[in-house]
Amino acid sequence: MDAIEIKNLRRVYATNTGTFRRKMKEVVAVEDVSFAIKNGELFGLLGPNGAGKTTTVKMLTTLLIPTAGSATILGSDIVKDANDIRSKIGFIFGGERGLYWRLSAINNLRYFASLYHVEPREADKRIPYLLDMVGLGDRGDEKVEGYSRGMKQRLHIARALLHNPEVLFLDEPTIGLDPVGARELRAVVRDLQSEKKTILLTTHYMFEADALCERIAVINHGKIIALDTPEALKKHVIDLSVIEIEVYGVSDDLINKIKNLSYVDNVSTQNREQRQILMVQTRRGPEAVPDLVSAFNGVRIGKVSAREPTLEDAYVRLVGGAA
Amino acid sequence: MNWKIIKSHLRVVFLTFEMTFRQNMVDSFILFTIVVQPLLIAILAMWMLRERGGDYAIFVIVGSGMSGLWSSLLFVSGNSITSERWNGNLEGLVASPTPIQFAVFGKAMANVTQSLLSMIASYSVVAVLFDVQLRMEQPLVFFSSLVLTMLTFMTFGLIISSVFVINPDVQRWQNGLEFPIFILAGFLFPISLLPGWTNPLSYILAPYWATRVLHAATVGLATSSEIILTWSMMILFGILYIALSGRMFKKMLYRARVEATLNMQ
Repeated sequence: MDAIEIKNLRRVYATNTGTFRRKMKEVVAVEDVSFAIKNGELFGLLGPNGAGKTTTVKMLTTLLIPTAGSATILGSDIVKDANDIRSKIGFIFGGERGLYWRLSAINNLRYFASLYHVEPREADKRIPYLLDMVGLGDRGDEKVEGYSRGMKQRLHIARALLHNPEVLFLDEPTIGLDPVGARELRAVVRDLQSEKKTILLTTHYMFEADALCERIAVINHGKIIALDTPEALKKHVIDLSVIEIEVYGVSDDLINKIKNLSYVDNVSTQNREQRQILMVQTRRGPEAVPDLVSAFNGVRIGKVSAREPTLEDAYVRLVGGAA
Repeated sequence: MNWKIIKSHLRVVFLTFEMTFRQNMVDSFILFTIVVQPLLIAILAMWMLRERGGDYAIFVIVGSGMSGLWSSLLFVSGNSITSERWNGNLEGLVASPTPIQFAVFGKAMANVTQSLLSMIASYSVVAVLFDVQLRMEQPLVFFSSLVLTMLTFMTFGLIISSVFVINPDVQRWQNGLEFPIFILAGFLFPISLLPGWTNPLSYILAPYWATRVLHAATVGLATSSEIILTWSMMILFGILYIALSGRMFKKMLYRARVEATLNMQ
């Protein structure tokens, strides 16, 4: 039996539009999602903002009722057996909320330990251990309101592990963290992986998924569009090269024009202060560079380089440049 | 439900009580409402009542104390769910194996206890300052009834909180609930002054029975049969409120999970 089994999961949100003549509108957040996660596996769910990652996690953590479909965690149904599931899972949602800021970290953890029926004697041993594990051992007495964002994220991890759950849901745990904080948090996730916990990690950082996950599902517009190991996903772009072009002040019209060139497969953009980095996927390889440069007629160009495709490029190809 | 689980749930009640107390002690707004505001109200009340004699003063103090307790409970019960939602903690509470009503009960217990203690302290201090003699004919009955009153108030708070689980918009109805209970429970004047058809509404409210026995105890009219009747009604309605709130929390939580209202979007 797999730790998590999801079959044809669907979730629709109802929203209101208009001020005077209100109309109900339905938004499909998750559409016919099916996958399974093995015991002890670290599984990644990747997708752009609004793709349905958090909705999927919230259904699995019993916080949302699915509109259709079913899912089981360790054999228990997420709707019928929600109470049984709650003591077996831990979860964190990215961000600073979800803690009592006017209490110390230790008091936060004492409180959450009681909610998860951890005996006080056990909690007294476990709280210092977990605070040490997430690097907050010497700050446990301080009020959470004085913590940095990274410290709060790490406290969330400690909170999720208080009852030693078999299954963990980490929803964008490194979002908003500085590079050092994100690296430290990834180290914590790796430690959890070595303890053979089943982990579902959602992220939109490709390198994070590549470094941590054994398998990855890519979700876009609520649907799973690919599911494989990181290496197998990279094969989706084995026929392509990526030309990175540094440009200053390129318009959306020009980006669309580049996208429509016959030898260009996809284009994604990263904004870095005053410049933009265009990542152009092409089958022609480095030979395409002169033609591409001439297409940016009148735009200031900086560095141009060609490289092998990465998981991020595979992801861009799969989600059609939405990243 | 086995004893181990019951013990775990009770631990949540007392720890929520402790944590709420700790948080209130470092919140200047709450400290103002607990320490300064009751003192100001007590000074005003005693200044107005000092010529009227101890019997009348104690009637008004009990009535206004009950009103204060009810307002505190009404707002705290609703706001406890709303603030958890704003702080992103409601999902954490709902997704834990402990039913959320135990945490809500602990919060209500902390806030009602703080309000009551501050009111008793304020009135006592100010009565000494203004030299008003507050006579209590049956103090043992009064304080025993007060403990029962607090417990039944808290069970009533569970019903209010359960409605707030579904949607924060319910808060707009909160003010509308304050005065009907003041009137129907007879906090400030006897319900015999109200039209007869309203009396059955008063009888299904535990605060009515609480007010009745507290007023009677202050003037020495709490006979054995009156005590048995009022206490039994408080216990009966307390149990009914717990049972009803259990069902309501179940229904409201299910709807909140369907309508995705556990978190602020």
